[in-house]
Amino acid sequence: MKIFIDPPNSLVLFDLVERFGHEPLSAMAAIQERVDNLEVDMPPMNVTLDDVVRGLKYAGVEVPSGIRGRLAVWGPLIEEADAAIIMDDCPYSFGCVGCERSNLMVKYLIKRRGIPTFHVSYPETDEQAVDFVAQTREFLEGLE
Amino acid sequence: MSQERETRLFMISPRSMLTPDQLVRMVHAFGAAAIVKETCYGCLVEGPRELVLDILSKVRETYPNEVFSKVRAYPCSDPRRCRAQHGTRPGYAQLEEEWELLSRIQYGLENIERGAKYEAPAERKRIPVNDFKRICEVQ
Repeated sequence: MKIFIDPPNSLVLFDLVERFGHEPLSAMAAIQERVDNLEVDMPPMNVTLDDVVRGLKYAGVEVPSGIRGRLAVWGPLIEEADAAIIMDDCPYSFGCVGCERSNLMVKYLIKRRGIPTFHVSYPETDEQAVDFVAQTREFLEGLE
Repeated sequence: MSQERETRLFMISPRSMLTPDQLVRMVHAFGAAAIVKETCYGCLVEGPRELVLDILSKVRETYPNEVFSKVRAYPCSDPRRCRAQHGTRPGYAQLEEEWELLSRIQYGLENIERGAKYEAPAERKRIPVNDFKRICEVQ
């Protein structure tokens, strides 16, 4: 099954989803398609002008273009996903740095789709990490 | 996802005794026709998707809980990203954060292998009124 991970660039979630036998939908794969097929040659930009226009499907015109740009990349992934894993209470610099609005919009879009969603807290200690891995494994193995 | 090219990032958990050099030598020893680039956190492996996934499964056989991997959007040494060519490294802060977390995830995976399971914390119930009264009443 295709699992959307949030933060979408997380190594830990990507690895765990793959490890437990599913296909992670990540920002890296979406950007790879743009790198391979389109001309993305203006670092640090990862999106084209068309993407920002496409982002209007997920966020209104009054929303800052940065959020629209992100949603243009992540929105199609959420539409494609069969389930989602969301990591809550992450440190500030974990995931999409400093853009809480994008994160909230992503959570809203996932909720609106009504797919099975698993919320897990960022593990601060070793004991929490055991629970984190065990819960993630349980969720992923329980998906059909 | 593009089927032609896949660039994978292999990151070693800080709890592991494995070094990037050892990891790169091991990947080279597979004799696969993939590009391998040693980095400070592990290595980058680039090649056709099937080949890279094959390398990943071989690495996981040897180091199941110590090496973590994810896809990297840009190819190895891409001038838009490579530091040697003054490219930007916007994803590096995230990698640093995850590197710290990997130690705990390795611990979690090892414990799961040994049979640890998630136990939900006991549900907190409301105290019965009579018990509450007894506590409150002045004897």
